[in-house]
Amino acid sequence: MKASFVGTLAIPVVATAILAALVQLVVVILVPVVAERDAFARLKPLGEPNVTVLLPRASPTERLAPYADPVLAVSFCRFDLAAGPIRITAPEGRAFASLSMHTQAGQPFYALTDRAATQGVIEAVLATPEDIRALEAQDNEEDPSHDLRVTAPDREGFVMFRVFSEEPSLYARAEEQAKHLSCKAEPIPR
Amino acid sequence: MVVIGFLKIVVVAAISLVLGLLVSRYVLAHASPFDRVRLGAWRLEAHAGSMEADPFTRARVARTGEIPLAVGEGLQWIARTDDAGRPLNAGCTYAVGPKAPEARYWTISVVTPDGFPIVNPAGRYGFRSSELLRSSNGDFTIIVSATPQPGNWLPVDAPGGFKLALRLYDAPLGATPAAMDPTSAPRVDKISCR
Repeated sequence: MKASFVGTLAIPVVATAILAALVQLVVVILVPVVAERDAFARLKPLGEPNVTVLLPRASPTERLAPYADPVLAVSFCRFDLAAGPIRITAPEGRAFASLSMHTQAGQPFYALTDRAATQGVIEAVLATPEDIRALEAQDNEEDPSHDLRVTAPDREGFVMFRVFSEEPSLYARAEEQAKHLSCKAEPIPR
Repeated sequence: MVVIGFLKIVVVAAISLVLGLLVSRYVLAHASPFDRVRLGAWRLEAHAGSMEADPFTRARVARTGEIPLAVGEGLQWIARTDDAGRPLNAGCTYAVGPKAPEARYWTISVVTPDGFPIVNPAGRYGFRSSELLRSSNGDFTIIVSATPQPGNWLPVDAPGGFKLALRLYDAPLGATPAAMDPTSAPRVDKISCR
């Protein structure tokens, strides 16, 4: 009796477990492809490429994206590298500030903090792998470029500039600093 | 016989589909099971802030619209329970402290289960390391409670439960959270309940 019970149920149960695991795997892989409300979809309507947009401070009513720290003043610009590289600059301030570059899905692929600032400016040049090679080919060996070049995995994405306010009264100042993020097209001379 | 066999396959497929979707929903609402680092009551997805994030983290980030901190910028730790493992409850009062891991700055905030600040009349959503009241040796205690408290009071008025977020900015061990000293985590201790 026991043998037949195992015989009739074991195969369907194991099959269900394997199939359910497969369904779950497919869902996890498909979600980033079909997600309609990812970070890029939320930011895109707020500004054209290369335009700096100051984001509203995170609060119970400003729900642009979850897990945003209300002590940070945040601005962003989105990028489209189809027309060539983008030069990103942001000013250093009195406290922590950082630039991060994100893919369309929101995943960060590069970041620089104010500790990497030179003469008060945090700076990087963002480009596609082809443009990075083109820039390197043009480098002058006598007078090498001092640019920090970052390869973007996607043609489109966005740059976040986060500025820490040390006290509530310093938030307005952090916002002022965040507004000075700049994203400028810098086509390669050919 | 053929009909019964066919029915069996349909039933197995239907159960698998429902089960798979339910598991997906659960998994996507939580930190990736394969990338979780613990520090006391706090949890972190070690690779959320990099291109090495696993498919579970990627799916969760894409679905929620979260914009993660890059590993070089900071680390975000989340606590859903106190140090004893009990889920955080807005009907209770908690003490958080007395130390925090080394970082240039950090913040401790209260968030809803889906990661947004919680409404409160004081407009106080969290504390910065740079604004806390501390004792002479640098230790601190943040009191998380629905009723006003002296000192560092973090109001929480969330019937649906809440989470705590510990964000370390410019942490020296940014790239290797697994190597952090567990005793450096702020404790989350329940003091009393209403």
